[in-house]
Amino acid sequence: MSTHDELKANAAGYVLGGLDAAERREFELHLAECAECAADIASLRPAIDALAATVPQVSPRPEVRARILRSVGAAGDRAQSRRNAPQMRAGGWLALAAAIVIAVGAGLYALRVQRQMADLQARFDQQRATSAVLSAPDLARIDLQGQPVAPDARARALWSRTRGLVFTAANLPPAPAGKAYQVWVVTAQMPVSAGLLTTDPSGGGTQYYYTPPDIAAPVAVAVTLEPAGGVAAPTGEKYLVGMP
Amino acid sequence: MWLLAALARMQPAAESQAEDAACLRRIASGDQAAAGELYDRHSRALYSLILRIVADETEAEDVLQEVFAQAFRQASRYDATRGVVAAWLLMMARSRAIDRIRAKRTRFEGRTGEVERIDQMPDTQPDAASMMLTEEQTRSVQRALGELPLMQRMAIELAYYEGLSHSEIAERLEQPLGTVKTRIRLGLLKLRDALTHPNAQSPRVGGPMEGAT
Repeated sequence: MSTHDELKANAAGYVLGGLDAAERREFELHLAECAECAADIASLRPAIDALAATVPQVSPRPEVRARILRSVGAAGDRAQSRRNAPQMRAGGWLALAAAIVIAVGAGLYALRVQRQMADLQARFDQQRATSAVLSAPDLARIDLQGQPVAPDARARALWSRTRGLVFTAANLPPAPAGKAYQVWVVTAQMPVSAGLLTTDPSGGGTQYYYTPPDIAAPVAVAVTLEPAGGVAAPTGEKYLVGMP
Repeated sequence: MWLLAALARMQPAAESQAEDAACLRRIASGDQAAAGELYDRHSRALYSLILRIVADETEAEDVLQEVFAQAFRQASRYDATRGVVAAWLLMMARSRAIDRIRAKRTRFEGRTGEVERIDQMPDTQPDAASMMLTEEQTRSVQRALGELPLMQRMAIELAYYEGLSHSEIAERLEQPLGTVKTRIRLGLLKLRDALTHPNAQSPRVGGPMEGAT
């Protein structure tokens, strides 16, 4: 049996759907008799629902509307059979998935053998996001120049309002212990933190950052040296600055 | 005073909820025009969430179609006491999009079975207290999300957009399970504060350093 505190630590996971089946059952049993945890769930749920609204807002292609309405209009009697055989409906995308599996599978396999799946998956996610930015129709490029503290540093920001920011830097000096580089999108109103930038031993680094789709157009992108973990507004020395 | 202001902000959301619920009733009674209306009101928000999760336009369109098909099928069973229509639709969109990337992940990893369909999880049901967000609240939550320490934000995003379990996130981020749980909780509390006090600059639980360890 888990203690109350152990169970309460699972509240966020419960609301997010992140518990395994056994944990979930145990939590639900507890929930039935613990008013504190029930209240906790109710207070966390709106925060999770709100996440859906924070993604970049993109309209589907106009022709999708007709396709979807046609499919449901004609599907009155097909709905029943679909419900009974959900795997059939997936036929089209199975072919697509198979193609993707063949294309990516070979590369993935070699790395899986090295048991670096976790690292790989994280990189895969980054690259998926990165390639989405690079192929964005609204891509903008901002080159950054090294400032007096780091005259050799160079960086490039590729920004899409709908898909986010890809930031690549080179020749940054190693961040001192307890410090980290932080990337800022400077709008006319205020600098908005994109996130922290991790550099390799050569002072280079590439990172994808989510940016809110309704952010004001950036007037500059900058990198500052801040306390490790980052800060809400820039306080440290500027290392790189660039303007569109 | 804040209560009046909050009620004033909720008013449009309450109205569109009533219109949505009416729309579903008309769909249930076979009104084709209502299907188009529901599509026009929600397709952008749903497509955006799906696209963020599956990261592929063609697949996102397929998932969008599945979501509307499910919504139209279940229109007659929709129960307004269980939550607002927008949250119900978004929950279905997230479930189906995550099912899809999970299926793909399962193929990559050569595993079968043991992947649970997220829409069978009762925890993702919307709550009657949930409401649609004002623009102000959306911006506030976006800002709060951007201000979260990187590891907190990554843990939340892996859970929400990738549908990973706590233990999968711990493995992915190479962090102890307890640390992951704490980070997700702290991050969500900050988002909740941003939602409750959308006007406060940088609402936070603890300082920006606290999640850095």
